[in-house]
Amino acid sequence: MALPDAADVQVEVARFEAELARAASPREAQAARDRFLGRRNSVVASWMQTIASAPPEQKKQIGRLANELKQAVEERWRRYAAGAEAAARPAGAVDVTLPGRARPLGHRHPLTVVRDQMEEIFSRMGFALVEGPEVEDEWHCFDALNMPAEHPARDMQDTLYLASPVAGDAGAPGDRRTLLRTHTSAMQIRYMLAHTPPIRIVVPGRVYRRDDLDLTHTPAFSQIEGLVVGEGISLADLKGTLAAFARDMFGTGSRLRLRPSFFPYTEPSAEVDISCWKCDGAGCAMCKRTGWIEILGCGMVHPAVFEAVGYDPERYTGFAWGIGIERVAILRYQVEDIRLFYENDLRFLEQFPH
Amino acid sequence: MRLLVSWLKDFVDVPGSADEIAGTLGLRGFEVAGIEPAGPGDAVIDVEVTANRPDCLSVIGLAREIATAYGLPLRTPAADPDAAIALAAAPAGGADRVQVIDEDAALCPRYAAAVAEVIPVATPAWMAGRLQAAGIRPISAIVDLTNYVNVELGQPMHAFDLARLAGGTIRIRRARPGETIRTLDGVARTLEADMLVIADADRAQAIAGVMGGADSEVTGSTREVVFESACFDPASVRRTSRRLQLKTEASIRFERGSDPGAPVMALRRAIALMQQMCAGRLSGPIVDRYPSPRERRRLRLRRARVKLLLGATPPDAEIVRILEGLGLEVAAAGGGWDVAAPTFRVDLLREADLIEEVGRHYGLDRIEPTFPPAMTPTPPPDPRIARDRLVRRLLTAAGLSEAVSFGFIEARAAAAFAPDGGPDAVSIANPLSAKFDTLRASLVPGLVDALAHNRRHGLRDVRLFEIGARFAASGETRGVAVAWTGNAGSEHWSGGGRDVDFFDVKGLVEQICAALGAEIRCVPAATPFLVAGQTAAILGPQGQAIGLLGVVAPAAADRRGLPRQDRVVVGELNLDALDAIGVPAADRTRPLPRHPAVVRDLSIIVPDALPAATIRGTMQAAAADLKAPLAGTALFDRYQGQGVPEASVSLSIRLTFQAPDRTLTDAEVQQSVEQILAALVREHGAVRR
Ligand SMILES: [Zn+2]
Repeated sequence: MALPDAADVQVEVARFEAELARAASPREAQAARDRFLGRRNSVVASWMQTIASAPPEQKKQIGRLANELKQAVEERWRRYAAGAEAAARPAGAVDVTLPGRARPLGHRHPLTVVRDQMEEIFSRMGFALVEGPEVEDEWHCFDALNMPAEHPARDMQDTLYLASPVAGDAGAPGDRRTLLRTHTSAMQIRYMLAHTPPIRIVVPGRVYRRDDLDLTHTPAFSQIEGLVVGEGISLADLKGTLAAFARDMFGTGSRLRLRPSFFPYTEPSAEVDISCWKCDGAGCAMCKRTGWIEILGCGMVHPAVFEAVGYDPERYTGFAWGIGIERVAILRYQVEDIRLFYENDLRFLEQFPH
Repeated sequence: MRLLVSWLKDFVDVPGSADEIAGTLGLRGFEVAGIEPAGPGDAVIDVEVTANRPDCLSVIGLAREIATAYGLPLRTPAADPDAAIALAAAPAGGADRVQVIDEDAALCPRYAAAVAEVIPVATPAWMAGRLQAAGIRPISAIVDLTNYVNVELGQPMHAFDLARLAGGTIRIRRARPGETIRTLDGVARTLEADMLVIADADRAQAIAGVMGGADSEVTGSTREVVFESACFDPASVRRTSRRLQLKTEASIRFERGSDPGAPVMALRRAIALMQQMCAGRLSGPIVDRYPSPRERRRLRLRRARVKLLLGATPPDAEIVRILEGLGLEVAAAGGGWDVAAPTFRVDLLREADLIEEVGRHYGLDRIEPTFPPAMTPTPPPDPRIARDRLVRRLLTAAGLSEAVSFGFIEARAAAAFAPDGGPDAVSIANPLSAKFDTLRASLVPGLVDALAHNRRHGLRDVRLFEIGARFAASGETRGVAVAWTGNAGSEHWSGGGRDVDFFDVKGLVEQICAALGAEIRCVPAATPFLVAGQTAAILGPQGQAIGLLGVVAPAAADRRGLPRQDRVVVGELNLDALDAIGVPAADRTRPLPRHPAVVRDLSIIVPDALPAATIRGTMQAAAADLKAPLAGTALFDRYQGQGVPEASVSLSIRLTFQAPDRTLTDAEVQQSVEQILAALVREHGAVRR
């Protein structure tokens, strides 16, 4: 073996450091240490052995180099061991990457999520939240809303009638409910009969139609009805109210478009479109390339409705609207099939907020 | 209404493409379902006409809207043979070739007729083309020209074969009881006594305003025809059409209200077309039975009212232009206008209707939005809304997801889950499907079906709840129900999973009731769809029925498509009944105790049939005489098995003693424990462990 010189000390120290860095476990690190510092066959031990065979004038020099190497390696080992100790897991340590233990959390139904948001928006605008019965009588559901007996909306086609009447408000004699309400507007009548203007209410609730179950129709669905009655209420107020709602519900850039339409209980009547929130009016698949999404029907309360509840239509004016909650939910969540809302499949429900 | 653009241009020189015209119609209240090309430079606009505008089920009606929208003149039918829409100069009255007797002027306010000799010709191609564009199949020259007039002017017409009318008579009368007629579609129909028919001397030859009869149908061998152009009562036509389930181009127009002013004009248009086509020769005057001619409706329109309702002020000139364009007669009169509505506008009944017309053509987009000022403070919301939200919050926090089902179910499901066999169920008179023929008396069947749906899709742990209306003959109530199957908690690597049982759902029930301030108790109950011995009725303090709780019987689960071996626990509460017994939580907090509580555990062996509620009652009764006030008892272990005799159970009860005014001594606590034990020994033969 060649006699070690000063440069060999640096080389061996670097080699030891590299082996420590490569060590994948404490056992491998210990083996590396033993290869350099061990009593037998280690690097330091072999340098010591060369002293015996070295020329006398070099013995002292080699002894000094061997000692230098030993101290340098020991110093690196001490530093390594201190670091390794710090990295070791303390007693009672847990694997923090294991999953936590959580009580399961349920989810609100998407129709509730949408309804809650609308209730919140209208509450903030000063609307009172009111609910009404789902079983109704012909007068509240049709007659009082300017739909006389021969009106098309009263055809058996549209309305689900009860085979036998159901009692109405507890104890009210003669209050016999004969049908499932076809719109929440029936509650407008009940509320106006019980209150005097000014009125500012929204009525969320379930309504029923004699419709087949398919991709876009259900025999029951949910609405939010709005009603404002007072002195000097105009169509401009209706526009302003719905525009404010649209900005809150569908984004601050939402624009509103009113198209004249026909409902027996409002005059003038209109359908309301909102600028498509997906393409901002440019035209996309969701808005069928029109840039607009039809969202609700509305109008100024028909004077005949005021007469039915004993309000003076000369003194009071007002507006009303009805929004389909399913329709908004379908568009917002891009649900292809309305039946998903009624299947109650957890894989669907769990995609909505708690 | 399928509107051919070139036909429209007979009436108004509207510039622009079909797309632009469609867009204009859309913003004037006529939704456009589609646009189809129809030959070179032409198109059909499919217009959805709302039920209040029967006048627009015609080319002239939509042309009037377009003319008003664009501010263009409208060409109206005129007696000039060179006019775009020419009317024949036909005399009225005189010697009748046909005798017309109107027996029911209420259901038939006007009936006009004319007789013509038929000249056999083919329908000209231009007419056949226009009819086809309008969605009407050409049949023969005579029939086609009546259909043409219907589309063009909105006046349904009919042609009878005069030779087939017994006695050369047209008698407008109600059907005789049991009278039958074979209609043009070949169907034999039995009529009801209040249906209006057009009869000859013997029998019904047409159902008025709905469909003609096959016997007097115009055929290739017809020599003479009678053209009918009439006005029928809308309600009567609607009733008849609905009861016969027969909807036609004519009935759709009549049931919405036809123009009593139109029949003779339409007849003159038909004659002009007949002469133009050389399809026939008029053989007499026009017979017109119109005993009480309709006045135009006179209405008042106030300028201030326009401003009030629209929240905008269209200029006077604009208002007048719009109304005159729509065919109204307008005269300025202090603060507004006196207006006469044409007879074809059956929908213009009051001032608000006129304001809608102004708004429609002024443009709703030109109205600047405002926000209605708050007039009064907002009243509090319906208390049910806050209550339902609280219940929903509790249940989602407990790991249940919210379900929504229809309010109705199939009778079979309703019966399977009726507590007492379901005689009280409310059924639907006209269900569209047997799946939805019964109103739900309970929310449980809907949830069980939802569980079955989820199990079919491979989910094992399903926890659902629903808040909604339930129906019975006694009325509508709102309830909450839960249904739970699978794991009681969630799967975790540390273990501890177990299946849901009765007490998981009972815990939910207790939490909801506590949150609503209602004190309830459970008593054993029996109902066919729940497992015997694992069923409880939930009662209020005075025994009021609040709800039901239990494990679903395997047979009931199986019937709704759930695996028999699944344990399904359900519970349902009547929220309205809970409201009635709930006591609102006190607003004041209790001061925290100043003296420490002392806790003692007591283990006893008692018969296992003894209800926990009875033991609780005994301890509370004994507590009345104690030196150390008993602040609470809690059962923390219940054990049966080795070391406990047969039919017995070991109970470990934690007793908490606390006095508000002093620290309790060991001696008085010990004495109190002994007293409680003595009561348990005395009452139930309890043995201390
Ligand atoms: Zn879009």
